[in-house]
Amino acid sequence: MTTQRLDTKDGTVVFLEESHALPLVTITIATRSGAAHDPPEKTGLARVSTRLLMRGCEGADARKIEETLDGLGAEAAEEVSHASVALGAQGIVRNVDALVDLLSRILGAPLFAEAEVARLVREMDADLLEVRDDDRSLAERALRKAIFGDHIFGRVTTRASLAKITREDVRGFHAKHFNKKNIVVAFAGDVTPDQSRALAEKLVSRLPTGEAIADPTPEPIEKTGRRLVFVDKPERTQTQIFLGALGTSAKDDDHFSLLAADAILGGSFTSRLMREVRSKRGWSYGASSRLDVARRRHWFLAHTFPAAADAAPCIALELDLIENYAAKGISARELSFIKKFLVRSYAFEIDTASKRVHQALDIEIMDWPADYHSGYVAKIKAVELGAANVAVKARIHPENLAIVMVGTAAQILDKVKAAIPNLASTDVIPFDTV
Amino acid sequence: MATQKKIVQAQLDGVTFDGTVPFSNGLIERYTLQNGLSVIVLVDKSAPTVSYFTWYRVGSRHEKPGKTGLAHLFEHLMFNETESLKAGEFDRKLEENGAETNAATWVDWTYYYESLPSDRLGLAVQMESDRMAHLVLRDPQVTSEKEVVANERRFRVDDDVEGAASEILYKAAFDKHPYHWPTIGWMEDINNFSPDDCAAFYKTFYAPNNATVIVVGDVKTKDVIAKIADAYGKLAAARIPAEDYQHDPPQQAERRVVLMKQTPTPKLIIGYHGPALGDAEHVPLSLLVEIMFGGRASRVHRSLAIDLEIATDLRGWVSTFRDPGLIEMYGTAREGKTAEEILSALDEQISKARDELVTDDELARAKARLELSLLRSLETAAGKAEQIGFYATVLGDPAGAFARLEAYRRATASDLRIAARRYFVDNARTIVVVTPELEAEEEKAEESAAQ
Repeated sequence: MTTQRLDTKDGTVVFLEESHALPLVTITIATRSGAAHDPPEKTGLARVSTRLLMRGCEGADARKIEETLDGLGAEAAEEVSHASVALGAQGIVRNVDALVDLLSRILGAPLFAEAEVARLVREMDADLLEVRDDDRSLAERALRKAIFGDHIFGRVTTRASLAKITREDVRGFHAKHFNKKNIVVAFAGDVTPDQSRALAEKLVSRLPTGEAIADPTPEPIEKTGRRLVFVDKPERTQTQIFLGALGTSAKDDDHFSLLAADAILGGSFTSRLMREVRSKRGWSYGASSRLDVARRRHWFLAHTFPAAADAAPCIALELDLIENYAAKGISARELSFIKKFLVRSYAFEIDTASKRVHQALDIEIMDWPADYHSGYVAKIKAVELGAANVAVKARIHPENLAIVMVGTAAQILDKVKAAIPNLASTDVIPFDTV
Repeated sequence: MATQKKIVQAQLDGVTFDGTVPFSNGLIERYTLQNGLSVIVLVDKSAPTVSYFTWYRVGSRHEKPGKTGLAHLFEHLMFNETESLKAGEFDRKLEENGAETNAATWVDWTYYYESLPSDRLGLAVQMESDRMAHLVLRDPQVTSEKEVVANERRFRVDDDVEGAASEILYKAAFDKHPYHWPTIGWMEDINNFSPDDCAAFYKTFYAPNNATVIVVGDVKTKDVIAKIADAYGKLAAARIPAEDYQHDPPQQAERRVVLMKQTPTPKLIIGYHGPALGDAEHVPLSLLVEIMFGGRASRVHRSLAIDLEIATDLRGWVSTFRDPGLIEMYGTAREGKTAEEILSALDEQISKARDELVTDDELARAKARLELSLLRSLETAAGKAEQIGFYATVLGDPAGAFARLEAYRRATASDLRIAARRYFVDNARTIVVVTPELEAEEEKAEESAAQ
């Protein structure tokens, strides 16, 4: 099945991926702009605004919306990134008309009641407090700052930034970003093109025409030197370790070469990291690397979570592996293997209607090349060894890594510092301030 | 379909056709090999993929004290060396063919799966049949995998507040039954396993007559059965020992455990002794727990999180075990609120469930939510295979998910209240309170100052 395009009469882009395998429909309404527009001191505004859509609209308060969705056999959730915010709903198809009627009011006539704004801010504040229980999340929050600094990608929502968000901010965000030209609608599942056209018209009927919003995100700048950021938390028997730097952009000529090379380093169960850290030494349950792809160059990360006693040797080993990777690249045998893996496993990137329609959404919203997904298999097949090794050398700089970890400083900090050659700086941050 | 099945039977000695069962918009076909291996096939052409699940009827309930975690350790060891494959080759071969592969273990079962492009089915058949009978269990792989599992335990239990509390809940709620110990095992036991322990466990439980293979995807049944018969037909059945465990006597008094943890706010877990998955009252209780905890419109969320604002992250579920498990309720206190406040508010909701009928609207919403949940789990071939394998293994009914959906539709408000009265017995509950260490230290200091 091919994704169909069924734009509305006012120019809202609409996609449909038809599948009648199950009586389900998934509806996604995504904006072309997102959290990159949050004022720095009010980071979290995009998420608060999108989540508040579900907390009251014309004809239904928060409770009524929640009960109606449940009764329809539907669920809705928001997804927020710097590039876009999305409201996604999935439901049993027999109730799709009622679901779209509700979503239309949620999108076009939200209440943003003062009491609901305040309630949501308190809820999110409580959730932020609970992040202190999640060592991986603590590490990832510290990592953003360590790699991106004051850049938009470096911002995280804090209790202080949440507290500054007002109802007027929320109304302003909705008015600016939710219009017919700045949203893209996607249907996946048990609906026909004619049904989808009618549903899409209804869905956007209450929105103004408006204009697409430009992305204010500049390209991030690479930080130099090896910087250790140690998030200090008592009583850790285990650590969370990220080694990271800037990675790739979908528009880079060497993008697919770097994706293939990274999969060899840490993108499969038989990758170099997995083999050396887990299989040979048993140091960490997981050992992986990844390249996130966004609208601007995002990060390259290697992640492990060894026992506290193994943290220092594990970091030393990872640095060795990354240095070797950057200096010597990958082998022809490795490349041949990973190309087979990536090409053959691509079937699982497109095995549901929802996944297929989200590829269309990516292209429309993220400003990636039009054949980014459709040409993926051919581009991976075309990766050459020489080009891949040039890409690794050009993009991965082991001398400029941020090393961010959560652990108990009194136990292991000195050993960790000693395990990092050419360490340029060390910051120790109490876990309850991340 | 009938013609094809007859042909399969006629052509393959040693394969018995056991019948068909409707499943979603397809038809499950069941076969048994002479050595006892059950095979279930569902043809699903919605994507050019196939999922190959092998469910073994062995879990942590089959372990003995001192050897806990052995079933789960196999989830790791099974990806290592076989008589014909060097360590690391198993994953490498599968990845080279584009496969996703993983495994899971719980109290009653262990499963392994591969999802592959459908033209690679033969590889999964070959490799799963190989490791069912020809696994090599020796050092250094066993020692290395013990280290990995110890690290998994640190990540899932020792450094995870909810994981630690959940482990203590079951330890306190069950004394004699094997649900007393965690599936991942006690750390001391993990560290002490020898290759001989592993070999004995493997010989006992890894055999065709203790397994069910589920194949879902873009395949031809005849081809699937032929491949499986060829690969597994020569494997010998094992003598699976009769289970030897005791049920606990009915709990007569509430049990409480306080756990000190490095955590910002208090947490509470309550466990009521509940029904087995196959018990008739599992269905109404699941609906009731959905009404109490399912989503923001649920009773508990609305009361504790929205109206009273004393808690966040409220969840409840009925364990889906072969033997009676627990009805678990979990809550995190808001800053400045206590576990006792959560308990008191939860008790009001539990009393209400025992005393009053749920409304028609509440019941209809819970049924719709659970129907959606089932449909969502069937979006991929792997999702379908997992549902089929789970119900085939625990209840002997591969279409059990749909039988359950029908049972949800039949359930009445009266059924829910009767189930609440039978199972929400406060004397038979266990409570774990997680107290932040800083808070505990401050209380101690205040007590000392007062003295």
